[in-house]
Amino acid sequence: MPTTAYISSSSAYIQTFKIFAGIVAVCLASVYLLSSILIPIIISFTLYALFEPATLYLVRHKLNHSLSILIVLLLMLFFGFIAVGFALPQLFDQVSLLQAKLPQIILQLERLLTDYSGELSSLIGVDLDVSEVIISLLSQSSSFGQSLLLSLSDKVLGFTMTSLLVPFLTYYLLKDFKSVRNSMMNWLPNSSFELGWLIYHRVSRQLQLYTRGVMIQSGVMALVCMIGFSLIGMDIPILLGSITGILNLVPYVGPVISIILSLLVASAMTPFDPSLLYLGVLVIIAAQAVDNLVVIPAVIANAVNLHPVMVILGIIIFGSVFGTLGVILAIPAIATAKIIYLNIYADILNASQKSPG
Amino acid sequence: MSNIFWSNIFKSATDELQTITGLWQKTPLFEGIPARQIEFLSRKMHVRKFLADEVIFRQGDGGAGAILVLEGSVRVMANKTQLAQLETGDFFGEIALAEPEHRTADAFSIHNSSLVYFLRQDLEEWIEYEPRLGAKFLMNLSSTLAKRLLQANKLIAEH
Repeated sequence: MPTTAYISSSSAYIQTFKIFAGIVAVCLASVYLLSSILIPIIISFTLYALFEPATLYLVRHKLNHSLSILIVLLLMLFFGFIAVGFALPQLFDQVSLLQAKLPQIILQLERLLTDYSGELSSLIGVDLDVSEVIISLLSQSSSFGQSLLLSLSDKVLGFTMTSLLVPFLTYYLLKDFKSVRNSMMNWLPNSSFELGWLIYHRVSRQLQLYTRGVMIQSGVMALVCMIGFSLIGMDIPILLGSITGILNLVPYVGPVISIILSLLVASAMTPFDPSLLYLGVLVIIAAQAVDNLVVIPAVIANAVNLHPVMVILGIIIFGSVFGTLGVILAIPAIATAKIIYLNIYADILNASQKSPG
Repeated sequence: MSNIFWSNIFKSATDELQTITGLWQKTPLFEGIPARQIEFLSRKMHVRKFLADEVIFRQGDGGAGAILVLEGSVRVMANKTQLAQLETGDFFGEIALAEPEHRTADAFSIHNSSLVYFLRQDLEEWIEYEPRLGAKFLMNLSSTLAKRLLQANKLIAEH
């Protein structure tokens, strides 16, 4: 008869926590070791999740696997170059326009704060020294402008490295990821083999759904906002739309920042048109409505199931530890951790409640 | 794990692949599926070695796929009652291909055994490549599960 260690159910939590802590430690160590190439790796995995269905489609139509990958990657590069060639000059123009308008935006903010400082002070119960706020904002805006230009030139090398590494990594992920994954899963002991695959199956499914969903969601948001901002005659519509699309990666907080940004840009326009303030917000609300009524139900309804408090706390913690990248990766990371924890716990609990005989 | 000094080093991986393909081909799960496709799938399957008396899975464990006995023998039990003793060529745990929730019985190897895991993950990926054959396989799977259900109902009625 087989013998299995019989553990009390109360120790199931402790045992799960120990294993989970071990997995988290390994993940953190990997992130630390790979920190210099983490962004290309994440982009490559995202592209892998996006383009694997296209590769499968070509393979299904009797094309060689390597040839299918090459076709998909060449198409990706072709459309990527067209998009970059079309959008980059306009984006650079709009970034310089934004830089030129920053002092005006700050002045507009100063006027608004001065007008409403009395009401604001009585509302929040703190005396506001408007001049101090403005001096701080002005110094920050000028250093922001300088750092933006400096970081742009500093990061050209990094960008080139990433651009070269990403297609290379994506090709090998599309080609060999599954065989490497199978070899690694074979390292698992017999007792954890099925559990390992079960967790992998659930995590990969959720991450693929989430990645594809979020990419489509951001693209739709960006497109709707670009069109909307152009139609109402807002300044820098392409840049503003792109930023709104990217900010949409961060739930709850992202749309609020987008609204503030559109208000600032609208308030800095000359001649000042107050209706643009409402119209700008209306464009973002309309884009959110399209997102909530069409994109989310169709694309990411089943992707992740997390409590809003968990999402907000996760974004704050991940953001403070890992910066911008942490904010974007917080939700998939928490969703993955949740699946791993619950599956290990269920397995240990089952072992604690039952001994085969 | 097999002992490197006593295992048959002349038995090549190709032989093992052909054996696995041949064994699956004889099962109702792969009825009507071309041998080339079964071989393609067998390449992706996972061979695991179990010692005598080693637990393969417990009732209530999450199941990741169906298991074929390549070598050795396996005992399947529920509530301390033996349900089946499986030998080379037999398969079990196919419910996990349809529903990866819980194993419905305990299974352990009687002697040192080699088992081949056909995972739901591999099945789903294959269905994306070969949807027509995938549909045929799923029909075979549902037919196998229905037969098992009828057998179980018959046993319950007899007792």
